Amino acid sequence: MADSTAAAPKPSSSVKLVLLGEAAVGKSSLVLRFVNNDFQENKEPTIGAAFLTQKCNLPTRTIKFEIWDTAGQERFASLAPMYYRNAQSALVVYDLTKPTSLIKAKHWVAELQRQASPGIVIALVGNKLDLTNETSEPADPLNDDGDADTTEGDDSSGDARKISTAEAKSYAEEEGLLFFETSAKLGTNVTEVFTAIANAIPETSLKGARGPGATQAGAGSGANDQSRVSLTGPRDNASKEGCAC
Amino acid sequence: MFSNLTSLVQKAQSLIDPTQALNISASDRNPAKSTLFRHQFRLPDTQTPLQEITAELTISPPASVAANATQGEKDRDRDRAGYHYAGKLHLSESYLCFSTQPTSFLQTASTSTSSGFTGQTHGAGPGGNGFTLPLCAIRRVERLHSQSYQFALAITTWNGLSNASVSEAAKSTVHQQKLTIQLAGTRQACERFCDGLKRGLKSGVGEVGKLKRVVAECYSEYLLQGEGKRIGDPPDAGLGMQFRYPGDARKLRDRSKMRLWGEYLRDNGRNVTLVRQPTFHKLIRVGLPNRLRGEIWEQTSGSLFLRLEQPSLYADTLTKFEGRESLAIEEIEKDLNRSLPEYPGFQSEEGIGRLRRVLTAYSWTNTEVGYCQAMNIVVAALLIYMSESQAFFLLSTLCDRLLPGYYSTTMYGTLLDQRVFESLVEKTMPILWDHLVKSDVQLSVVSLPWFLSLYINSMPLVFAFRVLDVFFLEGPKVLFQVGLAILRINGEELLDAADDGAFISVLKSYFSKLDESAHPKSENAKLRAVTRFQELMVVAFKEFSGITQNSITEQRMKHKDSVLNGIESFAKRTSIRNLGPDSKRLSVDDLGALYDRFYGILYERQQRDQMIKEETDRRAKASRAKATEVVTGLGETQSIEKGRVGLGPSPTLMDYDGFREFLAGMAKWATTDLPTPPEKVGDNEKHSYFGSSMKRRESSLSPWGFGNPEPADHEFMQRLFRRWDVDMNSALTLQNVVSGLAHIKGKGDIMGSITYFFELYDDDGDGKVDREGILRISEALLFLSRRGLEGSLTPSSSMVGLSEYEAGNGARVDNAMVTTNERFLSSVSAFIRRCFEYADPDHPQNQTEPIEAVDNGAFSIGEDEDEDEDLLDLGDDPDTKSAKKAAELPAVPAPSDQPPNSDGQRRASKAHAESANAALDPSKPLHITLPTFRMVVLADELLEQFFESSFPASFRISDKLISASATNSSSLTTFSNIGFGRSTGPTSQGGLGGIGSAGVVPPGKGLRGVLDNIVTDGMRVAAEVRRRMDEAQKELEKNAVHRPDEEEDDEEGYDPPRISGGYDGDPERRSVRSEDRDLLEGADAEAGSVKSPEGVSTVTQTGLSPLSPPETFRPRTASTATQKVVEFER
Ligand SMILES: Nc1nc2c(ncn2[C@@H]2O[C@H](COP(=O)(O)OP(=O)(O)OP(=O)(O)O)[C@@H](O)[C@H]2O)c(=O)[nH]1
Ligand SMILES: [Mg+2]
Repeated sequence: MADSTAAAPKPSSSVKLVLLGEAAVGKSSLVLRFVNNDFQENKEPTIGAAFLTQKCNLPTRTIKFEIWDTAGQERFASLAPMYYRNAQSALVVYDLTKPTSLIKAKHWVAELQRQASPGIVIALVGNKLDLTNETSEPADPLNDDGDADTTEGDDSSGDARKISTAEAKSYAEEEGLLFFETSAKLGTNVTEVFTAIANAIPETSLKGARGPGATQAGAGSGANDQSRVSLTGPRDNASKEGCAC
Repeated sequence: MFSNLTSLVQKAQSLIDPTQALNISASDRNPAKSTLFRHQFRLPDTQTPLQEITAELTISPPASVAANATQGEKDRDRDRAGYHYAGKLHLSESYLCFSTQPTSFLQTASTSTSSGFTGQTHGAGPGGNGFTLPLCAIRRVERLHSQSYQFALAITTWNGLSNASVSEAAKSTVHQQKLTIQLAGTRQACERFCDGLKRGLKSGVGEVGKLKRVVAECYSEYLLQGEGKRIGDPPDAGLGMQFRYPGDARKLRDRSKMRLWGEYLRDNGRNVTLVRQPTFHKLIRVGLPNRLRGEIWEQTSGSLFLRLEQPSLYADTLTKFEGRESLAIEEIEKDLNRSLPEYPGFQSEEGIGRLRRVLTAYSWTNTEVGYCQAMNIVVAALLIYMSESQAFFLLSTLCDRLLPGYYSTTMYGTLLDQRVFESLVEKTMPILWDHLVKSDVQLSVVSLPWFLSLYINSMPLVFAFRVLDVFFLEGPKVLFQVGLAILRINGEELLDAADDGAFISVLKSYFSKLDESAHPKSENAKLRAVTRFQELMVVAFKEFSGITQNSITEQRMKHKDSVLNGIESFAKRTSIRNLGPDSKRLSVDDLGALYDRFYGILYERQQRDQMIKEETDRRAKASRAKATEVVTGLGETQSIEKGRVGLGPSPTLMDYDGFREFLAGMAKWATTDLPTPPEKVGDNEKHSYFGSSMKRRESSLSPWGFGNPEPADHEFMQRLFRRWDVDMNSALTLQNVVSGLAHIKGKGDIMGSITYFFELYDDDGDGKVDREGILRISEALLFLSRRGLEGSLTPSSSMVGLSEYEAGNGARVDNAMVTTNERFLSSVSAFIRRCFEYADPDHPQNQTEPIEAVDNGAFSIGEDEDEDEDLLDLGDDPDTKSAKKAAELPAVPAPSDQPPNSDGQRRASKAHAESANAALDPSKPLHITLPTFRMVVLADELLEQFFESSFPASFRISDKLISASATNSSSLTTFSNIGFGRSTGPTSQGGLGGIGSAGVVPPGKGLRGVLDNIVTDGMRVAAEVRRRMDEAQKELEKNAVHRPDEEEDDEEGYDPPRISGGYDGDPERRSVRSEDRDLLEGADAEAGSVKSPEGVSTVTQTGLSPLSPPETFRPRTASTATQKVVEFER
């Protein structure tokens, strides 16, 4: 893994991260992209919660994310406290083609600010950026064909965006949240979100990794060294602080 | 494989399940007999146990079957040869059931009778060995003579019914299923049972059509037609027929399983006529064959009987709701592509379409559940093996019985069973449990999906279906047994896992290896052949055989409250956080208390409705039962807990009656003055959140609950309700209530309070309140104050009033007896006088409008007739028209221009007063504006205090109301109690008499009479006040013009100087104001200077003769006061 390339062992610490947001906004897909650099068109809904881990190498330290991916349907909300308990960071995800999902996201932010550990780092993430026609990256032709979602969801204009960047951004600023727009499908901004969170975690709140059993846990983590390289490769020069996972 | 498993399994199990109370919400600590009965035999909720009798079931061995053997003799011969099962025979409305399992709901049940014939699933299966036979499936019943028993019945069923009708040729091959049952009981009991059976059979005749239809959809019918003779298409046995069934059929030994099942069904009946014998249970344990799986699931779970009851429900539901949309459908659509995507059937429109239809239809039939994620996965799995209709009914059995509360909107069932599971882990694997706790591993992260989606997306599908096979037969305990077994088998490795991640990956890898050998290194080939899954099944049902439905139920009871409380406090927190900006004006404590009150009321009301309904049902049933001489044994002792927030969708809207009750719980003025039923003494729980209302069940069926005071129903409350009902739903949400109260209590300033009150009566929002409105405001003030006022209103001793002067002519009332509350009455009367004095005439063009508005607004709720008459007095059409005409004349004098009544008129008759009095003249519409209203209120110290503190404080959000004394009508402070208005005597439209003595403030004529009278009498005085007031007002307006920057601040503009410091720099104005104030004080209520002891309410009945004049209180002694009055008189 990336660790092996590092010259000297860096201090490593684990960070608990919870994903919250309306159903089908793409929480699990973001995690899957981050952990396995993969995307599945028909991802089964998360039942209860899923747990995965992934490492993130910062210049000065390694952060091991313990990711709790929760179920999005409203009625699962009462389970959430079980999962965000002791979380040091949270990804609150909405679907930027679905206005209601931002409302739900705001509820989650409020809930976290009131109930979660004080000082929790929260990132607001607008997912499915690929469904807008302003994607910064050129759309991958492979992804374009056979993608029923894109063609269905889009109007003829090709832009399904319903929540403007400005609107979400100003809300995020008001509440002091990190803010990103991502596409789990194309991988846009996904690593950036996690890196930004890793950087935002105050040094003082970091504790050591929890134990030897913790290293290779999680669904299929460690199985995708190849894909990880390809993910990080093109971006390496862009940001030295990037998450070299 | 078979023998290995079977032998192990046979050793397992020895405990009996005395109860099968699966549904915690319907059957609490004391599950009703009929619930248990239904659960035991998997019967629909329509069935109740009517009769039961000890019996022995004899099943002829297959070899001796002869198609036409019906003679008693032959039967008796076979008696000795067949299988015998001792047990109980039960009769319900449309089922005849037999079980070797002791009837779990009978205290006297003993295990001995059935001990010889308990299968592996003993104590947990659908009633052990036996049958659940729809009466319509019985072809004929013969009574045999038996040597050992009083009675014996030979039952012939409609076995193979569908093909019998298809072809005569096939008929001969059809096995005539015949069951012999010997009844053990007194002759009388046997006769009674037979009579009941006869009646049931008769009424079952009509159902045969349904039966045929339902049975035709069962694959077993097709199967038993025999190879080569099959006609037509096979019934739909799921998507698997089209897209293949999961797993390798050869490896699953599907063929040989099918053959074994074919034999079993041939000998023991199929679908509805199936008889459960030990082999049945064994066959299920080794896994069902693909094409029969769906049918056996619906048979063992009992969903088959639901389908039998309403065969077309599924299709009908789809038709009925075609094209309709709902939140559930939206949620379903999101997940359709995300359900078992690895199964080819769900990558096709066919599969997706089926899934969509089943989920949608179910969401319509159970709107409380609607759709919950995980249901998509479960239904997808079902659809591989069964038709849409079968899956639909099985889903409803799952939601209602097998997984109670799992998919509800709060998912309390899921959370509860997670808690139960944890406690079972703690009990059975304490070391592992300690480890989990120490390493802070959240067990439910792994176990919750096991339960919620029945292991379907945790294990490879083939194994998950094996678990389901047993689950549908034996019930929810299977989920626990399997879960515990998984942990036990992986115990060692789990003890090494130090965090959630490691824990999860141990289990993940275990599930991926379920088909591997459990003992790969063993020397013993037989042992090596045992797969991990087989091992799992053995551990689950052998090592954890002690986990019974009963122990699960017990654990559920134990944890139920804390789980529900957890959910409720979460719901409360979330709800309070989302109450909108108005909620910020109230404290968090207040919001919490409001939340509790609001939902407490809704809950209690629902409970009461339910109880009343149940009670009615029970009575109806009891009488019916008597009529038919049905013996039911135990009574229903169900306690319904519906409506509790934690249990799922609960009411969220409060209607007007609920609102009344809500107010009555907070404000003492909101309870009725009518005598209430005897108090329940010292019931402090009344307002506790969800305080148990069960205990009060037997007691009165009053719609307000036993012992609760009945809420009042005053026009003011109706207005408040309408004001708060901003969405015009005729119902309030918690948010409405919070906003409503926030505006009253949250502002904490008197101006807001006064404005609020004014707006409440400004029906058309034009900033004017007309004559009618003024009177209604006065009535409201009296209504709100009749039980005394909140806080201590402390009139300053300098307060002196006109009324002293008036009172000079009035009845002599002892000073000592004049309480603050009574003085408030005088304030109100002064208020009316002033209102009319300072009222503006309506502009000629507008004059009819306000009246009409009142007409529409105030009376839409449905007032009593009296009111309408009253209104006619004021706003009669011809009158109004003439008034309009009059007003159009150039020089109609305003009321103030009209000479006030002369001194001598004060005692004049009402009629005279009205005709001479512009204020009361219906042809001269008038109104007050907010500034006038404000001024009039501020002119009276008591009224001022009322609006400043007493009114907001009268809504007690957080503290309890002590209602005991409040319901005592003799303590009411009302005009009639004190004697106000008695003077109106015979001329006062006669409305007062009856009401006054009851101490009720009626919204009708009586009080109106009083008020009119006061107005009349006060006119002269008020006219003068008005003149001065006008001057003052002009002065004010002049000043207001000088200060354009304050044009917004009407409120401040009219503030008396003692409140607003804003005009300090304007001496001229100040002087006007203080002059004005003196005047107002002079005109003030007589109450002012007298400090009398509080709480002397007996005054109301004493000292005043019924015919005493309206002026009530004796003059004050303060000389300054007299001075002013005298001055005023001039
Ligand atoms: N076009 C597009 N589709 C996406 C993206 N991310 C997720 N999806 C699709 O959205 C659907 C839901 O994705 P999930 O990751 O399962 O959503 P989730 O938030 O985990 O949903 P729950 O587990 O139900 O709460 C899937 O069909 C994904 O293929 C994205 O970036 N772009
Ligand atoms: Mg998910």
